[in-house]
Amino acid sequence: MRLLHWECGCAFIAFVMTLAFVLFPGPYEMAVFTFLAQPLFAIAAVSYLWKVFVDLRSRKLV
Amino acid sequence: MSFDYIHLVYLFGTLFCVLGILLCIRTARTRFGKLEDAPPVSLWITRLPAESAAKLIAFVALIVLPAGAVFIANYHTFEGVHEVRGCASCHVMRPMVNDMQDPNSGTLAARHYKNKWIAENQCYHCHSDYGFSGNMEAKMTGFRHLARYTTHSYEEPITARVRFNNQNCLNCHQGTLKFEAVQSHHTAGARLASNEMICLNCHGQAHPTSIQRTPGSPDYARLMEPFR
Repeated sequence: MRLLHWECGCAFIAFVMTLAFVLFPGPYEMAVFTFLAQPLFAIAAVSYLWKVFVDLRSRKLV
Repeated sequence: MSFDYIHLVYLFGTLFCVLGILLCIRTARTRFGKLEDAPPVSLWITRLPAESAAKLIAFVALIVLPAGAVFIANYHTFEGVHEVRGCASCHVMRPMVNDMQDPNSGTLAARHYKNKWIAENQCYHCHSDYGFSGNMEAKMTGFRHLARYTTHSYEEPITARVRFNNQNCLNCHQGTLKFEAVQSHHTAGARLASNEMICLNCHGQAHPTSIQRTPGSPDYARLMEPFR
């Protein structure tokens, strides 16, 4: 089972946006990074950490 | 060749992002349930069970590298706003930048520029609240400006919503012989410190007037020339 499919999708899109801003800084790239890429990273990270927590709980480790 | 911050941003930003993209693709394709029988994976100086290696890679792809990329890009944001070019990249700022670089202009910004009173990053020196050292309110203002500019939800001429902080002027001028020699600076010292009175009350326009910056005005075309 591909457990982290859409988390990786979110992070992938966010990395592409961030790379565009790093290499070609401009107001639109900055806005895309600030208002889209960062929330996507956050969503991916929170969802990943939640799945880790659920996995640990299912193994009775936490 | 000098190796300044922008080269580090390019280097580490590209490194984190490209590595992140590759590891995201790998993690997305990983079938965690079928790794128990897979052979161990060699990671530099150690060998890990395939499942542990996949989990480690997922952690790097979704936590470590995003944290690094976000840090680098935010650093880029706050450092990039130091440069005049960074300000001029939004076309609503062109009148201020073009006027500042116009040797025939008598505005406060132009006088600072042509007399080389500020050697570099001239915009930022007077509007230093925007960067890392500025307060949270100034940063929120910056993000609001960014959102309004990129969504075209503004009207020209733009007007400042917040009052300019005199401290930006006093950072350089206060304590100098020339500043201290002027009696009115002492008389109005408390009101200047509290922003009750602004420096421009006596020292003239900092930038072109809103009338000059209004589309259709005789100065508009000259002030809106592309930044060189």
